[in-house]
Amino acid sequence: MTPELARADRAEAVRNAARSWRGAGVIDAAALQAIEQRYPDDRSRVGPVFRVLLFLFTLLAGNALFGFIGVIGGLSGSNRGDALAVLAVLAGLGLTFATDVQIGSLRRRQGGIEAATSFMALGYLFGAVAWWVFESKTSADVPILCLAGAVLCAAAAWRWGYPLYAAAATAGLLVATAHLSFGRLLWIVLPLAAAPVLLRLSASLRLPPAHRASCTAVLSVALAGLYAAVHLGSWEKQVIEEIGERHHQAPPGGDLLWWLAVVATALVPAVLLALGLRGRCYPLLLLGAGTAVASLVTLRWYVHLAPLWVVLVVSGILLVAVVFALRRYLESGPEGERHGFTAAPLFQDAARLRLLEAGAAILTLAPEARTIHEEPKFEGGGGQFGGGGASGGF
Amino acid sequence: MNLDAAQAIPELAESGLVPPAAAPLLLRVARGELVSVHGELRALLYSGVLLITGGAGVLVKENLDRIGPVVIAAALGLAALAALVWVARVAAPFSWREMPSPNLAFDYVLLLGVLLAAADLAYLEVKFTPLGAQWPWHLLIVALLTGFAAFRYDSRVVWSLALSTFAAWRGVSAGRMGTAVLWAHAGAVRWNAVGCGVLFAVLGVVLVRTRRKAHFEPLAVHLGWLLILGGLASGMTESGRTGLAWAAALLVVGAALAIGAYRSRHFSLFAFGVLAAYVALSRLVIDVLEAGAAEALGCFWFSGTSILVIIGLLVAQRRLKEPL
Repeated sequence: MTPELARADRAEAVRNAARSWRGAGVIDAAALQAIEQRYPDDRSRVGPVFRVLLFLFTLLAGNALFGFIGVIGGLSGSNRGDALAVLAVLAGLGLTFATDVQIGSLRRRQGGIEAATSFMALGYLFGAVAWWVFESKTSADVPILCLAGAVLCAAAAWRWGYPLYAAAATAGLLVATAHLSFGRLLWIVLPLAAAPVLLRLSASLRLPPAHRASCTAVLSVALAGLYAAVHLGSWEKQVIEEIGERHHQAPPGGDLLWWLAVVATALVPAVLLALGLRGRCYPLLLLGAGTAVASLVTLRWYVHLAPLWVVLVVSGILLVAVVFALRRYLESGPEGERHGFTAAPLFQDAARLRLLEAGAAILTLAPEARTIHEEPKFEGGGGQFGGGGASGGF
Repeated sequence: MNLDAAQAIPELAESGLVPPAAAPLLLRVARGELVSVHGELRALLYSGVLLITGGAGVLVKENLDRIGPVVIAAALGLAALAALVWVARVAAPFSWREMPSPNLAFDYVLLLGVLLAAADLAYLEVKFTPLGAQWPWHLLIVALLTGFAAFRYDSRVVWSLALSTFAAWRGVSAGRMGTAVLWAHAGAVRWNAVGCGVLFAVLGVVLVRTRRKAHFEPLAVHLGWLLILGGLASGMTESGRTGLAWAAALLVVGAALAIGAYRSRHFSLFAFGVLAAYVALSRLVIDVLEAGAAEALGCFWFSGTSILVIIGLLVAQRRLKEPL
């Protein structure tokens, strides 16, 4: 990442904060304008809708052009794989150069096009490597590919500042290590060793915002990998070994390792939540909450405390009760906060959140549509259990 | 946490761009010393409502014979009533304008009450069939009651349920954003999707024009256009001239939407229009190219036209200046 790009990202972070202050009414429009002038934007950016459209059409244009060259060059036959791989390398290198020019001298950022060209560059280079690795018929094809993918993604994340590529690089590295005979151990040791460093880097002012976000992305994937490695179900089904294509027999239940997995399945979410609460670290809190839900579902899988409907209703009521208690606890603190947490919205865009909620409600709660052609025929006892959300027939 | 903003705040406060009284709070938030869990608490409440209604559904399914229909209907009705009575007690007086929620739980207790009431109505209809052959009308009744609750208590979530339940009554699954009709191959469903879409879009415009619950407009208009475009796009899967006619209709409607949205600065609707028009135009062109079996021409079409669209989008965004 160039120093100019890092500076531009830092200024954008300040402008973003100022926009949220303006949204919350802390500053007026004139102050926002003055802040935007003090931290000027030297990049060419577009809004989210245009960004998505430009991304999609660039992907379409790039891939269609590749196809066009392939077809008119007579490379579409099944025996022209090598030539196609060479074309993919050329396309990948060309797109890498195009991305670099756009982000560098053309000063594009959040523009959609440069994100699409970077994505295609990685795709074509990875595709070419995959072709040659599979053609070489080596037994270590998947780990080599995963490592190559991890290197490509890590380089892209470092150079262009896309956290998503950092997350993909970490996932690739984990899958590659799963192929080693002590893969599961590495899935535990590597995240534990890297977590303190990554936590510090994700809050380091010396790094630009995009690299800090990349460190957070790497941390999140690594810790998710750690949980997957110690999870009871993953141990019993030998999931990591399956990923590493090393087919082991199912381990005996009830031995020391099994009990260690039981303890770790319960302990990891608790530790993540505790660390997240203590450091007010949002990624750790999110991971802690996610893994806690996974561990509770695991508990229900092994221990049938009550019928499913009781578990669901009681969990729902408990969840609502916990929220009420938490809110009351936080609001009763001095100035409506306790231990650095508050239930007040602060500088969040409430209208946007509510619109998202409504959209989510359509996706998750919309009732099943009735079948139109069944309308004239009444059979009694038909129909749907639902409307206004609940759905499912009985 | 926003470390760069944290570094800038003291300087901004000194120069008077940030009110000195607000600076300490802004600084704490930017440094991550004060974290808001407002959104997370709302998400947990939403999950709680989903779990409770899901549990109620499983209870009814698994214990239908053991508990008996009257007990189930009464239990669902009582639970819904309890939730709705609480909502009615704490709700602010009715207003056509946007009203802030009286408390964090209000929207979710209302949602729970509406979902349980809807489930109860559906259950009563299935078990006791009061509507007889007209049983699908229970969805319309639920849609109207849900719509009333959304207006009275000013809830966007319940408003989205009202719209999707209405669409379900017409045989359209709004949960799949109109895409399900792409595979339905049923003329009636297609026309219903388009009809529902037009109704929702017009309703949205009326809400804004009359300034009555104008904040419900985005949901109605977006869902409406998704259903219209999805319905028209489903026609393109038909073979022969019928498919081409639907493609031409989608091209005209998509282009009109894109132009209208461009003029009114509706960015997301502009995107819907551009995508729909492009898909429709490509369908028409590919139909011609397929006759000549020209693979390369197809690739050339997509690369060439995509580049033209990109240029057009770049010009359009310079004029529109969509906020970041």
